[in-house]
Amino acid sequence: MNTRRDNAGKKDLGEVIVITSGKGGVGKTTTTASLGAALALRGQRVLVVDADIGLRNLDMMLGLENRIVFNVVDVAKKICKPAQAIIKSKKSNNLYLLPASQTDDKDVVDEAEIRYVLEQFRREFHYVLVDSPAGIEQGFRNACAGAESAIVVTTPEVSAIRDADRVVGLLSSKGIEAKLIINRIDFEMVRRGDMLSVRDVQDILGIEIIGVVERDDQIISAANCGEPVVYNQKSKAGQAFTRIAARVCGEQIPVPSFDTGSLWSRIGRKLGVNA
Amino acid sequence: MFNALKKKLFGESNESKETAKSRLHFVLVQDRTGLTNEEMAGFREEMVKVIEKYFVIDKEGFDIKYHRLADTTTLLINSPVIVRRSTSGSSSKGARVTETEAENETDNETAAVASNV
Repeated sequence: MNTRRDNAGKKDLGEVIVITSGKGGVGKTTTTASLGAALALRGQRVLVVDADIGLRNLDMMLGLENRIVFNVVDVAKKICKPAQAIIKSKKSNNLYLLPASQTDDKDVVDEAEIRYVLEQFRREFHYVLVDSPAGIEQGFRNACAGAESAIVVTTPEVSAIRDADRVVGLLSSKGIEAKLIINRIDFEMVRRGDMLSVRDVQDILGIEIIGVVERDDQIISAANCGEPVVYNQKSKAGQAFTRIAARVCGEQIPVPSFDTGSLWSRIGRKLGVNA
Repeated sequence: MFNALKKKLFGESNESKETAKSRLHFVLVQDRTGLTNEEMAGFREEMVKVIEKYFVIDKEGFDIKYHRLADTTTLLINSPVIVRRSTSGSSSKGARVTETEAENETDNETAAVASNV
């Protein structure tokens, strides 16, 4: 019996997507947690994997830090059974976490071992999201092992974009297609000409944009409480991740840009009307 | 006009994003090609020379982009052409083109008009 795919036409194994960025601190872990939760809200079975060995954080984002028994290294080294290491989210029956080890070093596992770990779970889940560590070294290579596609997270800042470009090049040399999330954009600054617009970033990097997330204080409060921001649908970032989840599932939803900055769209925004 | 009105209404800006764009443009060409500063300058100089063999161009507008699409990487060379050099012409014709080029260096508009003649 094959009930694990609710959307017909898709293949039997879950899709492995690596979430990466090159530069640290642009929102990879927040993106992984939020997108995972948003996909789960759509009824997809999702496993989020923390591949940042030695610096685990995804457990904090999901409020699961005190439930960890085994981790990704234990599965890789066959110290435990795969099913023993994953932890169900408090908020959703569809969302699971495979935590990183906090004590090991990044190169304690290799790419083949990570591929083995992901294979253990692909049949059980529609989506496996792998949260990559910052950088382009072994940790990054491990996170990419077994990934079919990638989501590159950047902010509209020069250093983040430069690093994103480097990562897109590396992914492309591995045959992994990358799509872009522009995180923490401030449309007011874009209008003033003090921040690169969605269009600017797209022109520079030349890859498809799968989502744009506005700078939003709710992200910090959500992280404080260990609850992904998508559970707060008043939050603009929450709405953005919900739309990104829909796009990941193949829905055609245009990416908002507000780039034209026309007088009317500006007045609209001031009045709280979202185009 | 509308933009001017907007500026009046919402204040002037210094558009720091334009600086960001040109800095990124510069650094990404280096990152993507793996060429050093000097190599890039040399490549640019030689490209200009080659194109100038056949066209009179606006060197100011000459621009090299290393553009990456989903599965291919393209070198985009943008070179505004002012006039096509006559290839089969006599030596006197060649001299005229040189004249045009000389004018071009001092005054772009004059050169453009001259090319129409």
